[in-house]
Amino acid sequence: MKIHVYARLKDFFSPEFELNAVAHNTDELKLRLLEINEEAKSILDSCRFAIEEGFIDHDHKLKENDTVIIIPPSSGG
Amino acid sequence: MIRSSSSPLPAEVNGFLLGTIQVISAEPLDVVNLLSRAHHPSAGGVVLFSGEVRDSNKGREVAYLEYESYIPLAEKMIHDILAEAREKWGLKVAIAQHRIGRLSTGESAVVVITAAAHRREAYEANQHIIHRIKHEVPIWKCEYFSDGGHEWGNNCNC
Repeated sequence: MKIHVYARLKDFFSPEFELNAVAHNTDELKLRLLEINEEAKSILDSCRFAIEEGFIDHDHKLKENDTVIIIPPSSGG
Repeated sequence: MIRSSSSPLPAEVNGFLLGTIQVISAEPLDVVNLLSRAHHPSAGGVVLFSGEVRDSNKGREVAYLEYESYIPLAEKMIHDILAEAREKWGLKVAIAQHRIGRLSTGESAVVVITAAAHRREAYEANQHIIHRIKHEVPIWKCEYFSDGGHEWGNNCNC
């Protein structure tokens, strides 16, 4: 599974990386990410998750070849 | 000339072809050019909002800003927000463009233009559109200060 992160999340993770651990949904994905960097808990709890051009819910079934985009709270404008 | 690395979206409203406007632009926003596209024979009120880079924040001098975006989703969301606003307020024209990359103080970071039969609808729709862009669309601001520090924005004061 490929992971892309943006903004403040780049202080905790590489902008793009391959996650080899198993994650069936975004709740499990968060746990896998915290195993990489537990200091990201606060920001991860406020993030949304997306695949391609759409947000996904916490129970969306992730596939091994998905590219998951992790989206911190917006701060445009 | 409006260009960016992202794909253009058509901006056709009520049969008036406005050309293609990149909603996410890596190039400086041409506010005058955007406004020139917003005139419509049935619109008696045109509102333009330009969000610009301030030279200070929380008592610190701002050197410059950098914006980044997850462009595929941001383009789709802005397109949807504009379409919903057109429908809700009966807008004749609705345009939005957001800059990414490095911006100096005084540069325009985002432009929203709304045109309606009367000013009330144009004002209300414009405020609605900019609020949603700032709070929902995956675009992020990082402020770089003259003291050497930097901070990601969190939109808590707007």
